[in-house]
Amino acid sequence: MKIIRIPIAVFCLIIYCTQSFSQYTFFKDNEGFAIEVSLSNTKLIRLPAYRNGISSLAVTGDLVTGGTTAGEKLSPYIFTASLSKKEMIAVKDVGDVIAGQQAVATGFFHGKNNILYAGTLAGRINDSTYGDGHLIEVRTGAGGSIDLTDLGSPVKGEGVFALTIDTASGMLYGLSYPSGIFFTFRIATKETKTFLASKITQAEKDTLNEFSIAPDKYLSRALVVDNKGLVYGSRPVNRMFVFDPSLNTFTTLSDMLPEVWGRRTLGQADALIRSKEGKLYGANSGDGQLFELDASSLKIKNLGKPIMMNRIRGLAFGADNKLYGIAGAPPGYAHFFSYDQANEGFSDYGNPQFIMKAPGIEQGIEWRGFRLGAIAASEDGKYIVLGEDDTLSQLLVYPVGN
Amino acid sequence: MFQKITYCFLLVLISNYSRSQVSTTDQHLAFINYPGFPEGHSTWDDIGYSVRNNKILVGVTNHLDKVALYEYDVTTLKMNKQGLISDLGHLRPFQWQAKIHSKFAEGPGGQMYFATDGGESREEYLMNHPDGYSGGFFMKWDAATHTMTNLGMGLQYESIKDIDVDPASGIIYAVTYPQARFLVYDPAKNLVRDLGRLGSSHVPRVLFTDWWGNCYYVDWRQRLVKYDKIKQELVFADSSLPAFPGTPGGKIITGITAYAKDRKNNVIYLITYGAKILAFHPEKNGIGKVEDLGAVSESGVKNLYDPYVPNLNIGDNGKLYYIIGGHGNYVVENKTVVMEFDPKTKKRKILYEFPVDQLSEATGSDTKDREGNIYFAGRKDIPGHDASVPFLIKFNPTKMVRK
Repeated sequence: MKIIRIPIAVFCLIIYCTQSFSQYTFFKDNEGFAIEVSLSNTKLIRLPAYRNGISSLAVTGDLVTGGTTAGEKLSPYIFTASLSKKEMIAVKDVGDVIAGQQAVATGFFHGKNNILYAGTLAGRINDSTYGDGHLIEVRTGAGGSIDLTDLGSPVKGEGVFALTIDTASGMLYGLSYPSGIFFTFRIATKETKTFLASKITQAEKDTLNEFSIAPDKYLSRALVVDNKGLVYGSRPVNRMFVFDPSLNTFTTLSDMLPEVWGRRTLGQADALIRSKEGKLYGANSGDGQLFELDASSLKIKNLGKPIMMNRIRGLAFGADNKLYGIAGAPPGYAHFFSYDQANEGFSDYGNPQFIMKAPGIEQGIEWRGFRLGAIAASEDGKYIVLGEDDTLSQLLVYPVGN
Repeated sequence: MFQKITYCFLLVLISNYSRSQVSTTDQHLAFINYPGFPEGHSTWDDIGYSVRNNKILVGVTNHLDKVALYEYDVTTLKMNKQGLISDLGHLRPFQWQAKIHSKFAEGPGGQMYFATDGGESREEYLMNHPDGYSGGFFMKWDAATHTMTNLGMGLQYESIKDIDVDPASGIIYAVTYPQARFLVYDPAKNLVRDLGRLGSSHVPRVLFTDWWGNCYYVDWRQRLVKYDKIKQELVFADSSLPAFPGTPGGKIITGITAYAKDRKNNVIYLITYGAKILAFHPEKNGIGKVEDLGAVSESGVKNLYDPYVPNLNIGDNGKLYYIIGGHGNYVVENKTVVMEFDPKTKKRKILYEFPVDQLSEATGSDTKDREGNIYFAGRKDIPGHDASVPFLIKFNPTKMVRK
């Protein structure tokens, strides 16, 4: 009997150990925390259901500013939250200032005097007609109050799909939806110029239609300005372009976006960012590759993929010089990752899961992020803030280097 | 290789162990085995009663990749295996299912609806990888014709933890895992509406309907969330369900673990993951009032919120019956207890105590036949092994059960 028991015990031990090593713990950074942004039917300062998909984020000092995407026929919000208090401060219904808007989806861009700029997407009027998207200016008070100003609609009948800023020259650059019309906006004079040369051609549409690909899958989701003031974005099929504001010209780069064979038509700049040193990084939506764009040679270098999924919905630099991002998107589960070009390469943290405390849940509950839509770093890079893009979306905050 | 040898060994052990046990001799209680599935490991809330056919349905899982459907005929007292849901539901190997975790709910035509669940590490960690989990399916079982209809997937990659049916319209309500997304599925139109994520990191396992066909779930603050079938939208309660002071957040977010309906008195009794018994008085419009009836057990607990009670039934005598045990939660050391609770007097009583190798855990809500017998999906531990044997518990508090 003893002879039988020993091998059984050994087998069981092996199985136990095998199973133990095969399991994972969730990414629960001790100092990480969640801020409850959304909660329906409450007296707390919160956003209601279906109007809170966090699609734009910025951090100024202690203050997180968010912009949301709403469901059909609902208007989005601008909100502020405090990192130190781990609590919502104020909300502003975009519909109170501009009627008919559905999303603040471009991200926020820091202008002078801590003013933030973004663009909006209007609701659909019918199957083929869209309302006018607007440029907006957001000023936040010391206490987190929100002052929202309408800067007008840069392209009639089109939304603002992507935006960037050249703070030095005081220019906003954007891309309209669904036609992909490039525009410039001089902040000081509110002068807008549109460039039909960037519009998606019928031939390009025909190619994309073969794959049932809609504008939100082929228009550049991001734009970025390099140290010389040149503006970069993507266009179908799988190309990057550069706009020279001094000449008002577009050049298509010879290098394509990094691709997986057969999926070239899914090429789209999902995120673009410039480092402190002036390096340009981007991500291809189609298969979620990170890439580096050399602004001097206009060469694109494929840096690889953090996870198996498509998309990298946002990028932000931490104080540790790592590039943090959101990999993957629905119907899959988004992962928080970092990229350290010098040492670690990619590190995947999975779905972040942090403690959320608020009045009524003082003991804290764990919040796990599955659908992450936006990311921003604090100005000192010590915090990476992730925004969920969900029915009842919350903020997840990761202290860098902890 | 080692895993396979050990697995085969456990299979033989479970099979022998299952046969060696005898059912309880108590005249109010019967333990009924599931024949023809020696791999059977457990059952997880996947129980229901077909009024039309007078049958209890249960899904028995090997906790890996096979789920067998069983019918217990209340008239003939026979337990019959109907087959594996992968065969009955025409699933391919890449659509493997580890559990049925939902109740079996009777639809307007008398058919029984249920859903499937990944329920395993393959889903938990591999997630949307090709070797992971494809997603849970809605299924319909017709006990009269012994036919299964695969009604399609809910959401890609997501399990379906529980469902319920509006008996008037046939609309199915469901909650998914791991995202706790609330779905409304109209089989007649093949239309799935995803009303969004309502929960936190641990998904509440139970949703339920009222007499008007509205459905209830909870959000992460353990506030009731009602799907108003007329307005076709979610209505959120403005306050949380009662909880004991100090109840950990992990218990709050998991919400309700079991329910039992007393239609005559317009009460739905609830048990929370924080071990409270509540009386919920639903209203056609609005959410309705909630009455705190106290703890599931005041004795044998370190904290009142500790006991884990994933089951509840109501007898014809109006008293509540539930079983405490499993997942390391006991109010009598290493014993699983069957409790009686009188909502009128708020008095509770231990009716039975079982060692864990006779009864370790029970799940299932509101399963009662025409004779007033109530049912739980039970299982017992195999001492020394990380395995269990499932069986059906039939209990009648006022009458002898036919065996």
